[in-house]
Amino acid sequence: MILLMPLLIALLGAFVVLGFRNPRVATRAALLTGGLEIASLVVVVWQVHERGALQVGRYLRADGLSSFFLINIAFISGLVLVYASGYLRHTGEGRFSSPRWFYALVFWFLFTMISVCLSANLGLLWIMMEGTTLASALLVGFYNTEGAVEAGWKYLMVCTVGIAFALFGTIVLYLAAVKAGMNPAAALDWVSLMDAAPRMGLDPHLVKLAFVFVIVGYGTKIGFVPMHSWLPDAHAEAPTPISALLSAVLLNCAMYAVMRYDAIVSHATGSAFPHTLLLIFGVISMVVAGLLILVQRNLKRLMAYSSVEHMGIIAIGLGLGGPLGLFGALLHTFNHSVAKSLLFFSAGNVRHNFGTLRMDSISGMSRTMPQTSAALVVGGLAIVGLPPFSLFISEFAILSEAFTQARYFVVTLFLVILSVVFGGFAYHFLRLLGGEPNSVPPSSKLIPSEYSVMGIAALCLICFGARVPHLFSVLVQEAMAVLR
Amino acid sequence: MKIAINVLQALILIMGAPLVRGIIGRLKAWIQRRQGASIWRPYADLAKLLRKEDLVPPSASWVFRCAPIVLLGATIAVAAFVPVVQSSALLASRGDFFLLVYLLALGRFFLSLGAFDGGSAFGGMGASREALVSTLAEAPFLLGLVAVAILAAHADIAGMVTWTLQQNFFNISAVHILAFTSLAMVVLAETGRMPVDNPTTHLELTMIHEGMALEYSGPSLALIEWASAVKLHAMLALLIALFGPWGMASSVSVGAIGVALLLYCAKVALLMVLLAVIESGMAKLRMYLVPDFLGVASAVSALAVIFTMLVKR
Amino acid sequence: MGLVEIATGKVLSSFSVFLFLTILLMVVARRISTSVLLFSVQSAIIAAEVFATGFRERLAEAYVVGALVLVIKVVFIPRAFFRLVDRLKTPRDVKASTTPTQSVFIAAALIYLSYAAVHSYGQSVHVPEDALAASVALILTGAFLMVSRNKALMQMLGLLVLENGIFLAALTTTFGMPLVIEIGVFFDVLMGLLLMGIFTFRIRDTFDHLDVSKLRRLRG
Repeated sequence: MILLMPLLIALLGAFVVLGFRNPRVATRAALLTGGLEIASLVVVVWQVHERGALQVGRYLRADGLSSFFLINIAFISGLVLVYASGYLRHTGEGRFSSPRWFYALVFWFLFTMISVCLSANLGLLWIMMEGTTLASALLVGFYNTEGAVEAGWKYLMVCTVGIAFALFGTIVLYLAAVKAGMNPAAALDWVSLMDAAPRMGLDPHLVKLAFVFVIVGYGTKIGFVPMHSWLPDAHAEAPTPISALLSAVLLNCAMYAVMRYDAIVSHATGSAFPHTLLLIFGVISMVVAGLLILVQRNLKRLMAYSSVEHMGIIAIGLGLGGPLGLFGALLHTFNHSVAKSLLFFSAGNVRHNFGTLRMDSISGMSRTMPQTSAALVVGGLAIVGLPPFSLFISEFAILSEAFTQARYFVVTLFLVILSVVFGGFAYHFLRLLGGEPNSVPPSSKLIPSEYSVMGIAALCLICFGARVPHLFSVLVQEAMAVLR
Repeated sequence: MKIAINVLQALILIMGAPLVRGIIGRLKAWIQRRQGASIWRPYADLAKLLRKEDLVPPSASWVFRCAPIVLLGATIAVAAFVPVVQSSALLASRGDFFLLVYLLALGRFFLSLGAFDGGSAFGGMGASREALVSTLAEAPFLLGLVAVAILAAHADIAGMVTWTLQQNFFNISAVHILAFTSLAMVVLAETGRMPVDNPTTHLELTMIHEGMALEYSGPSLALIEWASAVKLHAMLALLIALFGPWGMASSVSVGAIGVALLLYCAKVALLMVLLAVIESGMAKLRMYLVPDFLGVASAVSALAVIFTMLVKR
Repeated sequence: MGLVEIATGKVLSSFSVFLFLTILLMVVARRISTSVLLFSVQSAIIAAEVFATGFRERLAEAYVVGALVLVIKVVFIPRAFFRLVDRLKTPRDVKASTTPTQSVFIAAALIYLSYAAVHSYGQSVHVPEDALAASVALILTGAFLMVSRNKALMQMLGLLVLENGIFLAALTTTFGMPLVIEIGVFFDVLMGLLLMGIFTFRIRDTFDHLDVSKLRRLRG
């Protein structure tokens, strides 16, 4: 029953918010629903922590891994909803483009993402993952500009094709399970598959084939290079709160799906094959995205490529395996989402005040917009992995694992790309912040909704960078235990 | 006795050809909600033309005069190749399908020469277009027949038909379906039917086959018209024999022959209906699109040949 | 019911050939409506295959799935497409970047490729080679259509053909997945098409054309 609450609240919230035509009432309803949603998610997490895995029926299940990602969803969606309430204060009524549609679509989006994390059945996982694409497509194309429509179309097309390949992979895994003697009705259930995995490993070809298709398919949603073509466009053209949701939550959900499959395949055929694939994709994504960061001209595209790079880092952490690697990867999903949200919120302020996101038309921000500049500095330092921010901890964990496994090639590439990214961000941000202000923005004061969430995010980054809270660390350990 | 039946088969094909043409014309008229001419009209036309005077352009040479004769002769030879009621025909064991294809080509070649020789602009235009269409149609024609021949392990028509007769109707193989599609397209191109050529057009700029026959009159025109009708009937009969010959007489008895004849009439009727529907339903392709049409036929027949390798594996 | 037995036997043994024919004809079609009709025929063939499988394997679920395929893919989606073409008031030609002759040869090469791929993998899985090759060919053709057709509507159709191929692969290897999952997949496809339809309207309104090859503002 507890598991159903988050889903029901999100679903009902979507319909309820749609009914309020007055934007302010709709916003308040949305915030209220958001609060209820976060509360129900916290309850679920707490219950899983107390009592172990919860299961409802055959299709919904919450274990340590799901609850970890649910915390991620809860935290970021809370920040995003609060930020959006202020961001949308100027948007009027339009077909699919008014605040109530925005919030309704956001809640629908949240519903699909929570379902992804709560599904026990790989088929349901697929259905809901496709649902996330559908739910967010209209959000990406929210502003009816040329860029937004093009980005939305590309997003829809590329991700649907990718997900179709993931469906094929799911089918092949189902076939492998049925051939290994599993009951067809249970052959898509994750727990049963984990139990039966050693039997499936007797015919490794099918399982490996399944994993290849799954990593290509869900990897499209994660943003692995070379399937990433939709990501910079979608994250850049979407409204800022949606960019934050996409970068910080959706990519993590897709990674969650890959983690589930990785667990099955590792139990079946040993972890060499899937982890090698993850390492390859991770390294390539990191390198390509890191290099492309240098030549970006749009602030949000810069951050989108940074998301690709960090997804690569998480994949490297997963691919290395081991206790430190897995810990680092899981922690990094959370840390990255907080830092990326902070960055996107600052970018939203920049756009709101300067009217553009082209970095060469903005300068002198430190004088005209001190608070946003501070947020940018904090976010930028965090995202490149410098102490005392939290991303340093998770990246350090992954690097240590790489050292322990004597993978010096990976270590070298990692450090080189980190330096390159640091240089790129420093270059771009210094140009934004320094120099003479070339245009006076209308008002540089932040409204409460904006500075509160940015403050919370920055605080979280600093606190987690100082010391990972014990409770949080325990939750990560529980998540890791699920994957063994 | 067999020879008598073979001669009967050839006569059916040759004499029944104008009737086939008449029925197709009547069906098209019925589909297009017109009255349409009687189905025996082509016979009346042939009789009328035979009575008329044969006018020859002053600049024409002997090629112009003997082209219709060569065309009719080649087409009658082709008709002698095709089995109708039993799995053999007059010439069916004397030559393989290459001979059939190139006999048709011989007739067509002479007709084109005659059209050139006639000296009119439309004749030359029709002849050059016909050259393009027939060049492109040759590949799918041959490849389609090659595919069937590979499966049947026989190169002569009689052998192919015998092999097909022995197959189970319900085991239609991919090769046959693909070969049938491409050969059907080739039949449309070779016999000058829509969508490649409009046999009832009166606009000279759109004519291919009609353009070549434009300068002829009297008995020569009768021979050309008859030859084109025989060509259509023979190719339809070829399609039936290669892809749907079940019901052919296996013994030389009146009853078996009668039944086989009835079945043949039914199959030809089916093909005629199909042809009428296709002709009424499609617009004529513009000339630069005809290579695309025949390109599709070529690809389908190439695929049929490739599939024979897969089947044999 | 000897006739039904024969019919199912025939459907199961030779349907893949007709699928190849629809593939070849679809890549040369010059009008959107022709392509949509061919897709409808394709889906009808697949629905027949589903029914035949259900009859032979005595699976009640297969009949439900077959009925769903029939209703959704043979009737509903093509009709939606036709209505979309009408309301978009766009020129009805398929903006192909390859000529019909090139397209059909590429399609023939893809069919051969799918046979080659299936032959090497099909040994471990005991399925009729034809059916699996047909599904792989459908997937490859769907991808080819998406890449070579410049109209947004044709890209949607390519996606549908791709999904048909995946569905057929599932059908031939595992006789279909659990019913709930199949229904969910159908629902997703429908929703996806709905959204893509909305987006084509937006593209048309913003750009005044439906040529996706001209959507190249965002680069780098």
